[in-house]
Amino acid sequence: MKALELFLGILTSVGGFVEIGELTFALNAGSKFDFALLWVVALGTIGIIVYGEMAGRIAAVRKQPVFQLIRERTGLTAGLVTLIAANLVNLLTCAAEIGGIALVWQLMTGWAYRPLIAATFVLLALAVWFFPFKWIERVFGLLGLFMVVFVAAAIASRPHWQHVLGGFVPQLPEAATSSELWLYAYYAVALFSSIVLPYETYFYASGAIEDHWTTKDLTLNRIIIIVGSVLGSSLTIALAILGSQQLSARDIEAQLPGTAALLAGVSLGPWAVVAALIGMLFAFGGAAIETTLSSAYNLAQFFGWPWGKFRKPRDAPRFHAAWFTLLLLSTLLIVSGIDPVEVVEYSIVFAVVTLPFSYFPTLVIAADKRVMKGFANGWLSNALGWLFLVLTTLAALCAIPLLVITHGGRG
Amino acid sequence: MNRESVDLMRSVLDQEIVDADDVPCGMVDDLELSGGPGTALKVEALLTGPGVWADRLPWIFPRIARAIVGRRQSRIPWSEVASMGDRLKLKSTAKKLGLDATDRQWGRWLERIPGSEAD
Repeated sequence: MKALELFLGILTSVGGFVEIGELTFALNAGSKFDFALLWVVALGTIGIIVYGEMAGRIAAVRKQPVFQLIRERTGLTAGLVTLIAANLVNLLTCAAEIGGIALVWQLMTGWAYRPLIAATFVLLALAVWFFPFKWIERVFGLLGLFMVVFVAAAIASRPHWQHVLGGFVPQLPEAATSSELWLYAYYAVALFSSIVLPYETYFYASGAIEDHWTTKDLTLNRIIIIVGSVLGSSLTIALAILGSQQLSARDIEAQLPGTAALLAGVSLGPWAVVAALIGMLFAFGGAAIETTLSSAYNLAQFFGWPWGKFRKPRDAPRFHAAWFTLLLLSTLLIVSGIDPVEVVEYSIVFAVVTLPFSYFPTLVIAADKRVMKGFANGWLSNALGWLFLVLTTLAALCAIPLLVITHGGRG
Repeated sequence: MNRESVDLMRSVLDQEIVDADDVPCGMVDDLELSGGPGTALKVEALLTGPGVWADRLPWIFPRIARAIVGRRQSRIPWSEVASMGDRLKLKSTAKKLGLDATDRQWGRWLERIPGSEAD
């Protein structure tokens, strides 16, 4: 049973690894800078492993999710600012995912965009209301695995593998002008942020409590987060390779999620377009649900409301009303006509700004032997934790200036 | 509760409160203390609710927060605290202490929706 749990846990985390922001930035990073940003994917993957593992471990040992730690260690005022910022970012991200689903659905059916947004809202709301937590995780995570078609397409596009491997060494683009360097820095920060999006840590820790993890599940936690993230990041790498192989020479910028499906089709044929569209539909659907549930978890944990999908709606009514309201607000935002890819660009840049405020209390508690006893961080977790806290703080400080200097990544 | 010393800022304030059945019923948003110069400081009660935490915000934000979330607040006598640790556990249920009023009211609306009984 544990082996099955582990296997499904890994698969669902792979299927749920990429969402619309990561897809867009990975494709465009490849298109603009070929393989020169692959090291950022590796760095982001290590970051999400380090902090996901810590948050999962704290949840299993102390039964405390991230926003309780934030309130406990940073206090009411700083915690409230983080809560508002994190939930605004979640709202934008969720809106972008809903828009992305409607765009993909439109490609599959040819139906009108706005009614598809409304239909997406209804289906997502029904899924969260009726499905138990495990089902939500598994249905969307496993069907999101159709995204693996991008790995096959990247291999079939016959990249120069030595150049791909060279991309994992931190570097600056060759013979770049200063505006290209700013753009490179912007893409490095945005790609990093898209991989370590804060909602993933909030959702992962809350999910560990939803699944009633105990200290016996710590090995499960470690294997799922390490193997799931490493395999999941291969999707991001594949998208960057496809961007480089098929968009770079033609100087095309991927403006729609459908572009990615077409790239898979160019390499593998029409069936790959269908597989990629199905994969994106469920991967974006999973991300929309995770962001909206994550916002409700954050609110409930910060204010001490009963929360969790494991509680009946009448026993955790404010939590259930919160996710519904936030899903509705995200839908209204995207139905107003804002471009989902533009929304996701802003949400990802703002997400990294909130990240140090979530990472700092997580690190301090995971390292505290007084509260974590025998389960506190070892030297490696502490060293990597501090390193990534410094890196995310630097990224947070640079994110908005880079957004302005590069005119939102347009150079 | 017998403890030689308690760090109120670290171990009590901003901690989660759960009732006797481990159901969350708020955060310690403030403390009611008694005593004065020359006498022992005593914690009389835990205070919880938006009307309490709003007052702890700086500048003009208490007024803004109260306008949005209201002034509801509850007082839990310190004698009700059963244990401290990762959270403060109470001796009684939230229902008995009247801490579940908002959830009961919201729950009555939500239980009319089909599927609200599902786990």
